[in-house]
Amino acid sequence: MKSNAMPSLASIGRFWLPVLALVVPLVLIVVVTGQFGGLSLQRTVVEMLISIVIVVGLYVFVGNSGIISFGHATFMAIAAYGSAWQTCCEMLKPITMSGLPHFLRDQSIPLLPSAIVSVLLAGAAAFLTGLVIMRLTGLAASIATLAVLFILNVVYSNWDSVTMGSASIVGLPTYVTAWLALGCAVLAIVVAYLYQISAFGLAIRATREDEVAAAASGISLYWSRLIAFTLSGFLVGLGGVLQAHYLGTVSINNFFLGFTFLALAMLIVGGMGSLAGAVVGVVVITAMVDIFRRLEGGISIGGQQWSLPAGTQELIIAAFMLLILVFRKDGIMAGREIALPQQPQREKGLING
Amino acid sequence: MSRPSKRSGSKERLEARGVAVAFGGIRALSGVDLEVRRGEILGLIGPNGAGKTTMVNVLSGFQRPTSGSIRLDGIDVSRLTARKIAQAGIGRSFQAARLFRTMTVEQNLSVAAIGSGQSRRDARERALDILDWMGLAAKADHRCDSLSYGDERRVGIARALALQPSFALLDEPASGMNDAECEALMEVIAELPARFGCGVLLIEHNMKVIMGVCQRIHVLDGGQSLAEGSPQDIRMNPAVRRAYLGEKAADSTLAI
Amino acid sequence: MANIVQVLVDAIALGSLYALVALAIGLVFGVMRLVNFAQADYITIGAYALVVPTASVTPPLLLGALPAAVMIGGVLLVVVVLALLTERVAFRPLRNSNPSTLLISSFAVSYFLQNLVMLIHTGRPKSVGIGQSLANAVEIGGVRVPGVQLLTMVVTAGLLVALVLFLKRTPLGVQMRAAAENFQMARLLGMPANRVIALAFAISGLLSGAVSLLLTIQTGTLDLRMGLMPVVYGFFATVIGGMGSLPGAALGGFLVGVASVLLQTYLPADLRPFRDAGVFTLVILILLVRPQGLIVTSAAKERV
Repeated sequence: MKSNAMPSLASIGRFWLPVLALVVPLVLIVVVTGQFGGLSLQRTVVEMLISIVIVVGLYVFVGNSGIISFGHATFMAIAAYGSAWQTCCEMLKPITMSGLPHFLRDQSIPLLPSAIVSVLLAGAAAFLTGLVIMRLTGLAASIATLAVLFILNVVYSNWDSVTMGSASIVGLPTYVTAWLALGCAVLAIVVAYLYQISAFGLAIRATREDEVAAAASGISLYWSRLIAFTLSGFLVGLGGVLQAHYLGTVSINNFFLGFTFLALAMLIVGGMGSLAGAVVGVVVITAMVDIFRRLEGGISIGGQQWSLPAGTQELIIAAFMLLILVFRKDGIMAGREIALPQQPQREKGLING
Repeated sequence: MSRPSKRSGSKERLEARGVAVAFGGIRALSGVDLEVRRGEILGLIGPNGAGKTTMVNVLSGFQRPTSGSIRLDGIDVSRLTARKIAQAGIGRSFQAARLFRTMTVEQNLSVAAIGSGQSRRDARERALDILDWMGLAAKADHRCDSLSYGDERRVGIARALALQPSFALLDEPASGMNDAECEALMEVIAELPARFGCGVLLIEHNMKVIMGVCQRIHVLDGGQSLAEGSPQDIRMNPAVRRAYLGEKAADSTLAI
Repeated sequence: MANIVQVLVDAIALGSLYALVALAIGLVFGVMRLVNFAQADYITIGAYALVVPTASVTPPLLLGALPAAVMIGGVLLVVVVLALLTERVAFRPLRNSNPSTLLISSFAVSYFLQNLVMLIHTGRPKSVGIGQSLANAVEIGGVRVPGVQLLTMVVTAGLLVALVLFLKRTPLGVQMRAAAENFQMARLLGMPANRVIALAFAISGLLSGAVSLLLTIQTGTLDLRMGLMPVVYGFFATVIGGMGSLPGAALGGFLVGVASVLLQTYLPADLRPFRDAGVFTLVILILLVRPQGLIVTSAAKERV
């Protein structure tokens, strides 16, 4: 007989442990830097939390399916621009973005609904793109996502009357605080976790491990990937909205290869096989970027001003990522979540002990 | 879990009719007729290169036949994809177990249960049920990349069963197993029809296993059907002996 | 009439340039299943080798100051050495990784090289004048063909022929083709992996070096991203041609080049900036119809 009684506290704890192990340190970081950190450290923390939303979003597809995507900056950009159209600079919009439809051009939309609409837009775009691209497998799919990134970049860079071309849209309301970013990061982590242990998550992980055996087990490669792609589109869209309303500006150049590289580097360094890997990767790379950014800015050692040439940071990140790929190819977390040792062994231990 | 399997209705069968497969100029199968009934275990044997695995690939939708058709319970499924065929109730295992390596044993089975349309919770229950029955319950939460070779193979079979198939195609399940493991495996296979109400197509090189569990045996040689009959018939069949042991040994008394 | 011929000449010139790039990508993919982003930086670095590293937008010439033959040899050598170096340092240790890992590692190599060039030469576009005499148009049968395009066509045709002869007539070339057609089998049959792979990189470096020179002569400018677009076009070319098929890569290169020129010519003026988006959309549509590409090789199929 299967018991449907209340699950014990221990089993709830065991269930949520992989999430708590990620969330609790993040909360601590926000609390501690909020109390004791300087302004620039606090900025770094917010940027890190936004990156977590984005990279966890990327992980939902890339990590679970094993297919590298170069196209996710597309959905971020769609959400960020979507939000800019709805909320930015009411006075200037009719002039700078004259091609917008009336309901957007002549009024602003409240922040919460606009954020929701933008995220939905990103998810819808991911779904439509996925409908087409998820028919392809492996490398062909990866290269098709690259095509998507380029298509968006070309269109948004040249659609002057709506996107202001390659110029930045400035003057978005900046409402993103550390706590809001933390909330969204936690949301992203919880969504990604519940997804990966769901039936859909199990199915797509199976396709990652062995496409043939997955098909023989009745799993549709197409649908399971499409679901992951869409969900991850929603999440990176949320990241796009957060970033837009944290920086207050949106520029298409920030959603191209440089950004794509950094997001993938975070995922790879932490290990794309697990949620913990995605989060750890963001923390590690953010820390590295921050340290080298400071060194490039110049520090004084023993009264002497000393600085690294600009661009060192990028070289080091790229080299670090290569070293990880060569010497620890599954990343820092090696595809594992943070969890207690396996249950059966423990039980055995209890009986024997 | 188990379906009544005493009487096989006229439609409860998996049939290959005139199946031919050609890779380029090479004919892997030419005009093979084969039939597995629900509730029985059919052995499929033959020398290396006889086309056994190709036959399983055709039956499970991984290889489209050049000509001929596959019927499941009287319905033509030759044009269906592998996934659709799996969902229609044909489960298979692979020669190389092809487990989802970074996932746990329970998750491996659950994937197949999910593929057959179950919810996550029901899938887990079914998986644990099967693992329990196969004596693998203790390994349920182990990652598959930590399993021993024998366990890997047994999990591969268990996963095919988690689909709750009406026909299970097992491709050399005993290969590389030691004697004790073989004995245990034979018990499991022999019980499949009664427990799952399914038919079993068993490819195996180990004649002890084949002779021990099969009601009927189908022999392939060079892509063609050579013989079909009870284990006793096949053991005595001179053509089979020739194909297996070569001309010289055809009249030796060696038991195959 | 003459107009159409002119468009055709443009299309063939660009198509053959992309075919070269696609072949460079396809060769390396064939021998180690690597889609190499760094190919873009081979092209870029080859071009930057022409000038002295300075912050100036009109830098003094380095290799570019040498006599033509030495200059060409120098640029090709730089790119070949660079390609071999990346193979040895970054890709050889990853040789047995899956294609996704290789792809991502080449992305990292590319990012590294691009920032290295930026560190050395700064990020500003530069102008460089080599081969200006080629800018003059040549009149052939009533059609004015710019000398640069003529050169591009002649060079690419020559290289294509040389490559085909190499692949068909030499033992190493045959091994390379065999590897591209059936990678697993070639390795089982004892393809001398180190030699064949290094050679593939060297040839892809050679082709990239030629592209560096042709691009620089065409545009007269150096830019950090000058290699990017040709290589992205090359990627798409190899995919629609059929991954692992060398004739497919060349065919795909021609197709995307021709499509690009046709869109550039016949799109309404205000849509022209969107030309690349049009070509890339076309790429995705072709893949929808033929997910394995135009020429299917065993590389694209997985056996059960």
